[in-house]
Amino acid sequence: MKFKSVAAAVLAMATCVSMAACGSSGSTNADGKVEITMWHNSTTGDGKAYWEAAAKAFEKENPNVEIKIEAIQNEDMDGKLQTALQDPNSAPDIFMARGGQKLRDVVEAGQAMDLTDKVSDTVKTQLKTAEATGTIDGKIYSVQQSVLPGGIWYSKDLFEKAGITETPKTWDEFKTVVQKLKDAGITPIAVGGKDAWPAAHWWYWFALRECSSDTFEKAQADKDFSDSCWTRTGDDVQSLLDLDAFNDGFLTTPAQQGASSSAGLLANHMAAMELMGGWEPGVIKDLTPDKQEMADLGYFAFPTMDTGKGDPTAIMGGSDGMAVGAWAPEEAVDFLNFVSEKEWQEKYATAFSTIPANKEAQDAVTNDALKQVLSVYNEASSVSMWLDTVFGQNIGNALNEGVVNMMAGKGTADDIVKGVESAAAKG
Amino acid sequence: MSASAGAAIKRRQSVLTDKARKRIEIAILSLPALIMFLGFVILPVFMAGYYGFFKWKGYGKPTVNGQFIGFENYKIILTDPNFQEALGHTLFVVVASLVIQGPLAILFALLLNQKFKGRALIRTLIFVPYVVSEVIVGTGWSLILQTTGALNAILKKMGLAGADWISDPKIAIWTLMFIISWKYIGFAVILMIAGMQSIPEDLYEAARVDGAGFWRQQWSITLPLLGPTIRIWAFMSIIGSLQLFDLVYIIWGQYVSSTAGTSTMATYMVREGRLANNYGYGSAVAVVIFIISLVIALTYQKFVLNRDLEGALTDEKDAKRRAKRAAKEAAKRAKANGGSVAVANEVISQ
Repeated sequence: MKFKSVAAAVLAMATCVSMAACGSSGSTNADGKVEITMWHNSTTGDGKAYWEAAAKAFEKENPNVEIKIEAIQNEDMDGKLQTALQDPNSAPDIFMARGGQKLRDVVEAGQAMDLTDKVSDTVKTQLKTAEATGTIDGKIYSVQQSVLPGGIWYSKDLFEKAGITETPKTWDEFKTVVQKLKDAGITPIAVGGKDAWPAAHWWYWFALRECSSDTFEKAQADKDFSDSCWTRTGDDVQSLLDLDAFNDGFLTTPAQQGASSSAGLLANHMAAMELMGGWEPGVIKDLTPDKQEMADLGYFAFPTMDTGKGDPTAIMGGSDGMAVGAWAPEEAVDFLNFVSEKEWQEKYATAFSTIPANKEAQDAVTNDALKQVLSVYNEASSVSMWLDTVFGQNIGNALNEGVVNMMAGKGTADDIVKGVESAAAKG
Repeated sequence: MSASAGAAIKRRQSVLTDKARKRIEIAILSLPALIMFLGFVILPVFMAGYYGFFKWKGYGKPTVNGQFIGFENYKIILTDPNFQEALGHTLFVVVASLVIQGPLAILFALLLNQKFKGRALIRTLIFVPYVVSEVIVGTGWSLILQTTGALNAILKKMGLAGADWISDPKIAIWTLMFIISWKYIGFAVILMIAGMQSIPEDLYEAARVDGAGFWRQQWSITLPLLGPTIRIWAFMSIIGSLQLFDLVYIIWGQYVSSTAGTSTMATYMVREGRLANNYGYGSAVAVVIFIISLVIALTYQKFVLNRDLEGALTDEKDAKRRAKRAAKEAAKRAKANGGSVAVANEVISQ
């Protein structure tokens, strides 16, 4: 009996220890193969299948490598990654990176590999425009996979129903469009306030139009919001609210989950427009009644504003990339180079219904709305990153929440700036 | 002689090894649980205390990638209007839960303690929400209460105007209170019924003989004798309310609970710690929540709960007085009889 209880205790201890030790990576496994772990955020459908297929193809060319692909739910990604990166044994070798302050934090903790000399020349030339997002202090830390410029997505059918023949180019035209939609009994704009950032995107875009590029960059670098253009940005949000154009109960409407989300409202013709990034066609595809691409989905650039000092063709957008852990084997970089070249980037574009970062693969874009985006993107004078990405989660969240507060009638334009300043003190 | 002495020694030795063996067994069997408890409860508490002194992003080590700032985090927490708001909401939930659920639960329990047809079914029904997981409750109610949800659709058909039950900051906290009451009242009712069933029936019979009506009986017998149950329930309710997180997080999501006026200390901690990536600051918030909960729990235990240690049928002063008197008498008797103190002890312990 004594022996048994000792044995049980030892077994329990051994389980504890082995639990902590499992999940090692970046080493050779039992078959003598190099094992690479990769984390991405496409848990369903074509996106998930894409990464699995890419891994298979790479393993075929490199028989000594085994790639473990793990799909992590998008909202869980940041938290899980943060914990995993603390220990090279459990950390993935390749992981999703959205750029901005977030990537900078990883880099400053010495957890990301400097890829400047490791990215192949082919990839470097083909990626030229999207490279900036993954570059920190002149060094490349992540290789971009997609560019996701924002703008206004709309239902062509609903526009037609309201007698709108042309998409608006200026803010005044936009206001007329909203009025026409309201007169026709259609909810003009869907916004997913529950996730905060979709509402805050309106503020970002107004800021991009109101502020000169110098002021805009200064705010990004020093968090300096003293210029009067930031007050005007708040006023613009107010004038948007005065239009009473949003869906009812937008504060608790999620952005992407289910038919009652803001993307769902657009997908099901319950609202006519939504301000979103370039991932919209892919998201909407899962929310239409027949799970097919939304046939009448259209896109137009954010309207210009004559009061503003911003460049009227400047646009804002995100870019998803992949970073490599500082502990990863060379083969991880090879895999990243492999998927970033034209062939797999074209497949990426099809699988995700999005614009690939690789310029030469952009011919693979067939969706009409995305082609529209691409033409706006290629004519843009500059592409800024989403402000919450630039600022990182701490200040970014405070900014987003400030905007949501204002939209819910709980704060002023000044409170947004105050919230940003108080968040800066916390982290 | 020597042989019997040897046997006695041997026996004593075997008794000792028995004891030792028992101790070893206890130690070994409780070790895994102990390791888990120390590793996953006690250690994190101290780690949080340590991290709370740093301005730290959660990447790398706080001493390398963070910055030691002493009590700065705590200063910010206590002066942050968002935290004060969250604390206010939490305390509101604590008080409102007691005020709303307490009387309702007692009334329900009184009703369900009577004998009538279908009692078991109704008892089960009232307990079901408590068993259902928070995620399902939260998702279900948020679908029903959305602006375009089922409730407003029904109201519209009845010709009534609905409301933004969860989006309107003026209503949202009451909606939350309604859902909390709906979910947790079953637990309170079951506790109260159990408490009522332990009250001796002859007390009611005696009261009836004395001519007490139904309400008089409940007021003078049930309520006082239910005291210990009510106090224990209130304690659990307070602790539960202080920790309130999941329902709010599911219905209002990661970002808008403070806008909707339903943020709690726990949602504030997750928002400022994990979502904002400020693990140092978040740890400090955790410590503040820990201290607030600890103080409330200890105070409650000291001033309210300790009377229950004296026994269920008497109140504190009475019990003390009676115990003292009994002890004195027993001691007197013991002296007179030259008996042992054990008698006195026995009486006191009774």
